[in-house]
Amino acid sequence: MDHSTDTHTLIAPVKQFDFTGKMKVTLIVGMVIGILCLALTWFGDHDGHQTRFWSNFLHNSVFFTGIAMLAGFFMCASITAWAGWYTTFKRLWESMSLFLIVGLVLMLVVALGVYFGWHQLYHWNDAHSVDTDRILAGKSGFLNKGWYLGGTVLFVGVWYIILNRIRALSIKEEKEGSHTDFSIHQKIRVWAVAYLPIAGFTSAALVWLWVMSVDAHWYSTLFAWYTGASWFVSMMCITMLMILYMRSKGYYSNVTDEHVHDVGKLIFAFSIFWTYLWFSQFMLIWYANVGEETGYFLHRMENYPVLFYGNLAVNFVLPFLVLMRNSTKRKAGIVGFISIVVLVGHWLDFFLMIKPGVLHTAHELSGHGHGHETGSHGAEHGHEAVGHAAEHVSTFVSGFTLPGFLELGTFIGFLCLFLFFVFTSLSRASLQSENDPYYFESLQHHT
Amino acid sequence: MAATRLVYGLYNDEEILLEAVKSANKEHIEIYDVYTPFPVHGLDPLLGLAESRLHYAGFIYGMLGTLTAFLGMTWIFTKDWPIIFGGKPYWAVPSFIPITFELTVLFASIGMVVTFYIINGLGPGVVNTYLDDRITDDKFCIAFDSHDVSDSDAEAFFRSTGASEVHEKEL
Repeated sequence: MDHSTDTHTLIAPVKQFDFTGKMKVTLIVGMVIGILCLALTWFGDHDGHQTRFWSNFLHNSVFFTGIAMLAGFFMCASITAWAGWYTTFKRLWESMSLFLIVGLVLMLVVALGVYFGWHQLYHWNDAHSVDTDRILAGKSGFLNKGWYLGGTVLFVGVWYIILNRIRALSIKEEKEGSHTDFSIHQKIRVWAVAYLPIAGFTSAALVWLWVMSVDAHWYSTLFAWYTGASWFVSMMCITMLMILYMRSKGYYSNVTDEHVHDVGKLIFAFSIFWTYLWFSQFMLIWYANVGEETGYFLHRMENYPVLFYGNLAVNFVLPFLVLMRNSTKRKAGIVGFISIVVLVGHWLDFFLMIKPGVLHTAHELSGHGHGHETGSHGAEHGHEAVGHAAEHVSTFVSGFTLPGFLELGTFIGFLCLFLFFVFTSLSRASLQSENDPYYFESLQHHT
Repeated sequence: MAATRLVYGLYNDEEILLEAVKSANKEHIEIYDVYTPFPVHGLDPLLGLAESRLHYAGFIYGMLGTLTAFLGMTWIFTKDWPIIFGGKPYWAVPSFIPITFELTVLFASIGMVVTFYIINGLGPGVVNTYLDDRITDDKFCIAFDSHDVSDSDAEAFFRSTGASEVHEKEL
């Protein structure tokens, strides 16, 4: 029987990634499509606040910034755990994590928008609402523009500094290290260990600010985990697609089916983990049936049924049944197809987290939602505001009820921006580091 | 049935064992069986073993658990003894999910363990014959059936592939 670890040693892996002009043009075309779609949503919007534009911008910025954060997080967790299997393609995660600098700029645009009142994405950012609404006033110690701007810059900045340091040390290790001297790797480990708690705790705070606070009256203690799992699966899908792409172009000849199999396992396992968190959040709220908590789900189940149930079908049932078998995780066609579908699925998951809340806020602030009257009665009537708004958004709203072509185009634009940056980072260093102490373990990897 | 006479060599390391199995394949020497104290990565494809079908059984047991739990609770709470819990409908599907999940795992795991034991003739009170005590501790063993491989061939093979000991035993 063919033993795959025997074959890769015969073909020497290509050292350097060549980011060809053809690829660049393709990705730039994608980015232009994204910019066009953003421009169309900007100029096609007549509500005066460009809510569709800003919510699309927030949605995609959060999605890809989180993916970069989690690429770094999983890499650091692997370094800390003395894992070796991923070492042959660790440059992929390094390059993905460096996208945080772009993510910082993107989120800074949203944060400056919060600070200077360019948009109405967040209900808590409306001074009049905070004055008249006890719930929003009670949360204003955290949900305010100072925290939003400061937290975004500080936390994403710190993530980037640490991951940039790890990347620099990793390249230094390749150039100056040896098979006997692990001093540079020890330094990488220190940074990796530091990144885990810092990113773990601060990313939760940023998820509350960026995503959860679009439904400013609602909160869930599980939300950061749930979002994190969604990012994780998306990150693994992109990793899988990039490995398959690189192998199809003749790179990474020593990244074998065994490595692909393990990335597939992680997609499978974390799809189930995501479902577990999704369901844990849903069932407790459904069972307790407390008015101020159920609004979030009631709104989505009644007005967004396609996305609400489709979310579970695409992100749980499909990967669960298809990736359950051993052999499907090793077939590039099947696992690549599932990765694309699940990546879009988790993009839709974020769509469903952000859009209904943003639309609700838009209705409240434009005076249709009676939010100010109900809000003035305070906490015990807070959930009624949700109910009132639900009446108004039960009709189809393009770009909110379901993603339209402009949303998909924006997604393509951001994806191409992400890939352009990752491929650029990838081409700036050699594809593999033989001086990583785990390099040879990774070559031997066998599931 | 005539007793099988086995000639077997003990190796100290799984890497040496893997190399030995490779050279046996190359020389077309028929291996009776390989015994190791723990699963050795890459050994199954070298021995040409087909993928285990145990997980098919596991899937069926799991589905059985899913159906038992879900249909069981459906029948109990809608037909047999309907009770309202916490103001929820009788057929409160989300609250069935945790138990359905638990029974799926329970049926799949117990079913697979029992199937594995039956297929391998293991179980409480069963006396199994084995070649050497140390196979369950720190030795890796390749065994040849003396009908297939002559003693001198086996001896030469073990010597050239770095076996630490060579023994024979009738099972």
